[in-house]
Amino acid sequence: MRLITFVLLLFSSMLVSAQTKVVGKVTDEKSGNPVIGASVSVKGTTIGTVTDIDGQYEIMANNGDVLVISYVGMNDYEYTVGSGASTLINLQEKSLNLDEVVVTGYGGSLSKKQVTGSISKVKSDEIENLPVQSFDRALQGRISGVQVTSANGIPGGAVQVRIRGVGSISGSLDPLYIVDGVPLNSTNRSLFTSSNPLNFLNPNDIESIEILKDASTTSIYGSQAANGVILVTTKKGKAGKTKIDFNYYKGWVSPPNKLEVLNTQDWIRTRTDAVKNAAPGTTDAAALTSVLTGIRLPGNLTQAQIDSLPTYDWQDEAFQLGQMDNYELALSGGNDKTKFYWSGGLNKADANLVNADFWRGSTALRLSQEVTKRLYIETSVNLGVTKSNGQFGGPSGGSFLGASAFSSSLMLPHNPIYNADGSYYGTPADGGTAGILNQNIIMVSKLNEISSKVLSTVGNINAVYKITDYWKFKPFFGIDYSNITGRNYQDPRTPDGFNVKGRLQLDFNENTNYTTGAVLNYNRLFNQIHNFDALVGYEYRKEANEFSYAWIEGFPSPDFKYPSQGASPQSITGGWAGYAKQALLSQVKYGFNSKYFLTGTLRYDGSSRFGRNNRYGLFPGVSAAWVLSEESFIKNIPFISDLKLRAGWGITGRDQLANGNYFPSLGLYSAAAYNNNGGIVISTLSNPDLVWEKTTEVNVGLEFGILNNKMRGQIDVFDRKSTDLLLELGVPQTSGFNTISSNVGELSNRGVEVELGVNWYRSKSFSWVTDFNYTGIQNKVLKLYDGITKIANRDSFTILPGNTSIIVGKPIGAVFTSEYAGVNPATGRGMWYDENGNITYNPRNPGDFKYHGSNIPKFFGGLTNSFTFFRDLELIAGFQYEFGRKAINNQGTFLSENGGRLFNVLQDVYDRRWVKPGDITDVPRSYNGNAETRGVSNLSGTRLLEDASYIRLKTLTLSYNFCRKNFIKKIESMKVYATAFNIHTWTKWSGYDPEWINFGNGNNGVVPLSKSFIVGAQIVF
Amino acid sequence: MNSLKYIFLLIFTASIFQSCSDWIDVEPRTTIDSNNALNSLDRINAAVNGMYDRLQTTNLYGRDLIAIPEALADNGRATNKSGRLNPEYRNTTGAHFLIWEFAYRTINEANLIIASLPARTEIAQDVRDGIEGQALFIRGLMYLELMKAYAYMPKAIVDVQNKGGVPLVLNGVADLPQVTFPPRSSIDDCYNQIYSDLKAAAVKLEKTAASRAPAYATKSAALSLLSRAYLYGGDYANAAKASEDAMALVGSKLLTKANYIAGFRSAVNPESIFEIPFVTNENIGVNLSLQTTYTTLVAVGNRTTTGGFGDLVPSANLLAAFQSDIDSVAGIFDQRRALYELGTMGRGTAEIECTKYLGKNGTVNLDNIVIIRASEVLLNRAEAYYNTNKEAEALTDVNTIRTRAGLPAKTGLTGQALLDEILKQRRLELAFEGHRFFDLKRLGKDLVKAPANVPFTDFRILAGIPARELGANKNLVQNFGY
Repeated sequence: MRLITFVLLLFSSMLVSAQTKVVGKVTDEKSGNPVIGASVSVKGTTIGTVTDIDGQYEIMANNGDVLVISYVGMNDYEYTVGSGASTLINLQEKSLNLDEVVVTGYGGSLSKKQVTGSISKVKSDEIENLPVQSFDRALQGRISGVQVTSANGIPGGAVQVRIRGVGSISGSLDPLYIVDGVPLNSTNRSLFTSSNPLNFLNPNDIESIEILKDASTTSIYGSQAANGVILVTTKKGKAGKTKIDFNYYKGWVSPPNKLEVLNTQDWIRTRTDAVKNAAPGTTDAAALTSVLTGIRLPGNLTQAQIDSLPTYDWQDEAFQLGQMDNYELALSGGNDKTKFYWSGGLNKADANLVNADFWRGSTALRLSQEVTKRLYIETSVNLGVTKSNGQFGGPSGGSFLGASAFSSSLMLPHNPIYNADGSYYGTPADGGTAGILNQNIIMVSKLNEISSKVLSTVGNINAVYKITDYWKFKPFFGIDYSNITGRNYQDPRTPDGFNVKGRLQLDFNENTNYTTGAVLNYNRLFNQIHNFDALVGYEYRKEANEFSYAWIEGFPSPDFKYPSQGASPQSITGGWAGYAKQALLSQVKYGFNSKYFLTGTLRYDGSSRFGRNNRYGLFPGVSAAWVLSEESFIKNIPFISDLKLRAGWGITGRDQLANGNYFPSLGLYSAAAYNNNGGIVISTLSNPDLVWEKTTEVNVGLEFGILNNKMRGQIDVFDRKSTDLLLELGVPQTSGFNTISSNVGELSNRGVEVELGVNWYRSKSFSWVTDFNYTGIQNKVLKLYDGITKIANRDSFTILPGNTSIIVGKPIGAVFTSEYAGVNPATGRGMWYDENGNITYNPRNPGDFKYHGSNIPKFFGGLTNSFTFFRDLELIAGFQYEFGRKAINNQGTFLSENGGRLFNVLQDVYDRRWVKPGDITDVPRSYNGNAETRGVSNLSGTRLLEDASYIRLKTLTLSYNFCRKNFIKKIESMKVYATAFNIHTWTKWSGYDPEWINFGNGNNGVVPLSKSFIVGAQIVF
Repeated sequence: MNSLKYIFLLIFTASIFQSCSDWIDVEPRTTIDSNNALNSLDRINAAVNGMYDRLQTTNLYGRDLIAIPEALADNGRATNKSGRLNPEYRNTTGAHFLIWEFAYRTINEANLIIASLPARTEIAQDVRDGIEGQALFIRGLMYLELMKAYAYMPKAIVDVQNKGGVPLVLNGVADLPQVTFPPRSSIDDCYNQIYSDLKAAAVKLEKTAASRAPAYATKSAALSLLSRAYLYGGDYANAAKASEDAMALVGSKLLTKANYIAGFRSAVNPESIFEIPFVTNENIGVNLSLQTTYTTLVAVGNRTTTGGFGDLVPSANLLAAFQSDIDSVAGIFDQRRALYELGTMGRGTAEIECTKYLGKNGTVNLDNIVIIRASEVLLNRAEAYYNTNKEAEALTDVNTIRTRAGLPAKTGLTGQALLDEILKQRRLELAFEGHRFFDLKRLGKDLVKAPANVPFTDFRILAGIPARELGANKNLVQNFGY
C-alpha cells in the first residue's frame, strides 16, 4: 500500500501542472478501521474534501502545501505535500488537550487552545449507556464547578444543577439549557410527580455537552446566563455508508438498604417508658395498658402474649427490586450533500418503590442539506413522550405522611399489612391502621394514581449562507413545546378518597417557547497571523404558558377515573403567563500568531418582565488567553507540552424569576369574586425601577499539559458577585400591601476548580487514565436589606425575616438553631447550650441559636479511572464526592422519638437511649410528647443535624468491544457492556441516602437512590 | 467596498430592533396593570365587588371578627377539640385580632375606587355616587373594626396606657412612591373620620336601590352602621338620631315572635341589613368556618352525624343568663335559647353549641355572615335613648326584644336597672355574632370568665399591632404592654 501511494505521489508530482493529485487513506489508530468522513484540507485555503467509505481521499494540492486531516474526536494531523511523508494517516483519538474543539454558542466553535474563558466539555462516550433518564444526572461528578444533585431515586425524577454555586436568593438557579441552539424552558411544571424537563432527550442521542461557566463566556447569553449555560449538541449523520446502530440494555434497581427499626415488643417497651416518664405516678401496669389500648391492642395482654405478638416489615413491602429496559435504534448516513441521523428509543424503568415508574418513547431526526456551495441547511426534531407514576405524597412538598418512603419505616410494627385473606389491613372502613400513620400506605400507594404524561418537542432549522469566503449569514429558528397532563386520583377505598367517594385532580399545562434570529459572522486570517472571528446577531424569544386544573369528587366506584364520571366538580382553574425578550449580540474573537487570544462580547437585552424604566440591559464580557507554550522560553522547557494562561471578566443577568413571577415590576389587579359576581382586587404594588439580578465575575485560569501531555489539567479561580438580588421588602401594611419586590440583596461565590487527567500508561495491550476534578466554593450572603433588626445576642446576625437559612456573612442554606449538649446522666433529659455555653433545657429562639453550617457543600467533585486491556476491554470506575454539607435529618427526627409519639423508632436510637441514672449517652430518655416539663422537644436543635458529606462509587463499567473488522461479516462493531451504578456510599449520614433536595419537607418521604445494575449490547451494522 | 454592504445590513438590523421594541410588550392576561385598571365603569364595578370580597377572609368576617369577640369575652368557652380559639379564650398574650393587614388592604381598595371616580365624568353622577357611597361605607366599616381591635373606645380609656387610634390612610396606593409611613391618629380623629365616611355614604347611597341589600351597602346599612359607630363612640345623641333614621328604613325587617327561629334557619336572615354572602367555592371548610368553630352538628337535632369541631361553645355564664328569665311554672321560655342545642360526641364530650351558623346555604360550613341586622339597630337605639334621658322610649325598645323572645315585658324599669336590662338583652340577642367583647370594652367593663378574669385595665384588652409593622413604619407606636 505504502508503495502504491509512493508511486502515485511520484506520478502526480511528475505532472506539468503546479498542482498534484494527492491520494491517501485515513484510519483509526486504535481500531485500524477506515475513518469515514474525515476532512482533508489544504491549510490556509478553502480547498478540501472528505474521506470516502473506505477512508480514502483525493485532493489537488501544490508541493509544499500543508494538508490538514481532521475528524471529530481525533487529533488533527498535518503533513506537507511532497515532503515524502506518508499519505496513510493513522488518526489518534483525542485526549483532553488544547486542540480539542469546543462549541461556544451562536454557531461559534474554537479549538481549546483559542478558548479564553472557562468552558468544560463532556463527550458522548462519557455519558452513554448509564442507567439514567436524563443527561444532567450523567454529568454528576464529571465536571469541575458543576454540582449535580438528584432530588430522589425516582427514575426520571427531578435533578438540580448548580454551576459555580448559588447566585440568587429568590430567583431560579437552574442553568440555561440550549439543545442545538434552542434554549429550553427547564422549569419543572409537573404538579404531581417528580419530573425533569430534560427527560425528553435520550442521553445516548447526545454528541457532546459544553458547559459555559464564567461570565466572560456566558455573557453572550446576557440576561439569562447568570446561572451558567449548558450547550447540548446532538449526534448528526456522516457521509458514507448507512450505519445501523442497535443498542439494548436490561437493568435492575435494588431496594435501598433498609433502616433498622424496632420490633413490636421493643416498641411497646419504649412507649411504655415514655408514658411512665411523662406521668411519674403511673404504675407499670397502668402505663402498659394505656400503651396497648392506644395502639388498639387489648389492654389486658400478659407479657407472654405481648412477647408472641408478630412484627411486620413495612419497608419490605414498600421497596422493591425494579427493572429497567432500554431499546435504541439509530440510522445514520448520507452523502456529500445530504446527511441524516434518525434514532428511536424506548426506556422503561421501575423505581425501587411500589407503583413508581418511568416510561419514555423518544425519536429524533436530523437532516442537513448542502443546497448550493454557498447555502447549507440543517434541521432537527426531537420528540419525547414520557409517562411516569410517582409516589403518593407529592414531589415537592405536600403531604409526606402518606408517602411510603417516609411511612414504611415509621409504621407501628404490630400493624399487619394484609389480612389473613390477602386483602389490605386497616382500610378506612375498618378504621385505619393504629398509630399516627393511620392509613395502610401500601394500599394507598397501590390504589392511588399519581401520574404525569409529558409530550415534548424540540425542533429547529438553521441555515448557513456563505456570502463570501469570509462572511456568513446564519438565520435560525427553534421551538421548544411541551405539554403535561397530570393526574392525581385518590381512590375511594383510600382514606383521602373515602369520605368524598374518590377525588380526581387533573392538571394540564402547555408551554410554547420559540426563539428566532440571525447571526452575521466574519472570519478571516490576515497575514497568516491575525485571526479575526466576529459576529453580530439578533435574537427574539417568546414564551407562553397556559394551564388548566380541575378537581372532581364523587365517583361511582374505583373503576371510574375520568372527570365526567365524577358527580361533584369542586373547582376549575386556569391561567396564562408569558414573556418576550429580544437581544442584539456581538462578539469579536481575535487571535495573534496562535499565541495571544482575545474575546470581547456585548449583548443588549430587553425583556418584557421588567419595568419601562429598566427594560433593557447591557451585558459585556472580555477575556484573553496567552499560550505560553508557544513562547520560545517555555517551548524549550522539555517537560511542558502545553501551557496557557487566561483571564476573563463579564456581567450576566438573571431574568428567570421565581415561578409565576412574570410581571415583577407591574402593579397588578387580579380576579376575585363576590356574591357570584366577578371582581378585581389590587394584589401587587408596582415598582417600575425593578431590574434583573446581575452577576459580575472575574475568572483566571491556567491550563497545562506536562510530559508530552501525560498529565494535563486546568485550574480556575473565580470570584462572582451577584447583586440587585430580588427580595420581598416589607412595606407598611397600612399601604394595603405587605411587600414589594426590590433589587436589594447581594451574594458572593468564590471558588477554585481543578481538573486533572493523567495517562499513567498507554500501550496496545494496556492503558490507564485517571481523571480527577475538585471544586471548592465559598458562598456568602453579603447584603439583605436595611432595617432588619439584628438578632439580640453576641453574634448579632442579620437574618432574612421568615427564613433563618439566610444570614448575612454566612453561606446560603444556613442551619440556625440551638446546639444540643447531650443527655444529663442523672435525669436522662436532653440538654442544650445557651448563648454563653451554659446548659439549658429551654434554649431561647433566637437568643441561644447559633450558626451550625450550611446545606450547600464546601467542596465536591469526582474521580474516574479508566483501564483498557488489549484495546477492546475497558473498565471504568467513577467516584463522586461532596463534603461540608450539613443538614437536619428530618425523617430521622421522626424515627428518633423513642415512643414519644406513635411512630416506630430506629433500633440504634432505642439501644442507646438513657434508661437509668449514670447512663452516658446522647439519646434522652423516652418521653411521651417528646418535650419534658419546661423544656423544648428532645429532638430540637442540632441533635439531628448530620454531616451529609459522602463519597460514592458511582459507576463501574466493564465493556468489551468486538470492533475488529470482519469479526462477523456485515457487523461493523459490537460492544457488550455491564454497568453497576451507585455501588457504595461512604457517609456519616444516618438516613437512607445523603443525596436529596429539600423542597420544603427536608428528606421526609424522599425515595432514596439505590444500587442499580445493567447489562447490554450495542451492535453497529 | 464589499463589507460596506454588511455594515448597512447591520444598521438595518439595529433599526429593526429599535422599531420593534413593542415586540417585547407582553401584557398580563390573568391580571391587569394597576396603572390603568380603574378606567371604565365595568372595571370600577369589578373593583367594588373585589373590595367586598376582601371582607370574606377568615381574619375579617370569615371567622375572626365574629368568633374572637365571643372567645375573648365571657360568652364563649373553648372546648379544645381542635385547639383553635383556646388561646383567645384564655386571653393569652398575643391571642387576639389579627385584622390589621386585611383591614388596610380593604381600605386601600376603597381609597383607589374613590380616587378613580372624579376623572370618570362619562359615568352618570348617580352611578358614581352609588359607587363612592359603597367605598365610603366599607372604609368606615374597616376603620371602625380597626379602632375596636387596636384602640380604646372614647368612653373607656385607660389614660396611662393610651397610645391613640390607628393611622388614617385616605389616599389609594398603587405605586411605591405612594406608600406613606403614617403615625397613629388620635382616637377622636379616627371616630370623626368614621362618622364622616358613614354619613357621606348614607348621602351618596340615597339613590341606591334597597334591593341591593344585604350583600351590598345601602343607605340603610350606612345609617345602621353609623348608629353603631356613634354608640361605640359614646355620642349618644347622634346614636339616637342615626338609629331612628335607620329604624325608619329597616324597622319592618324585624323578625316577629312567630318567625324568629325560622329567620335564623334561612340562608338570608330577613333581619339582615348588611351581610357577607358565601357561595359554594368560597366554603371556608372544616377547620375555620363559623359552623365548625361553633358546632359539631351538621343539622338541627341530628346528633349522629359529626361535622365540625365545635371549638367555641356558650359559657355557663351565658347559658345561665338565658335561664334567668325562664319560669317553667308560668310557661315562660326564651325562644332564643332554641338556637343552642346539644352537639355530637364525634369530637369528644357533647356540649351545648350555638347553631346560628349551620350550613344554611345548603352545604356544610357554608353560611352567609351577618354584619348588621335590625335587632342590633333597635338595641343601639334603646341604649342611646337611655343615655339621652329617654328612658321610657328605651324601655319600649327593649321590651320589643323581650316580648319577641317570649319573655314578658318589663315595667317600671329605670336607671341602672334599665341599662342592665338593655345590655343583657343585647348580650342574649347578639350572642355569637361578634359583639360581646366590644360591648364590654366600650363600657370599660372587666372580663369576668372562668379561666381567669381580665380587668379592663389589663393591656390584653387591646390587640397588639403586628411587630413587622413597627419595623416597617418607624412612626408607629406599639400598644401598651406589647
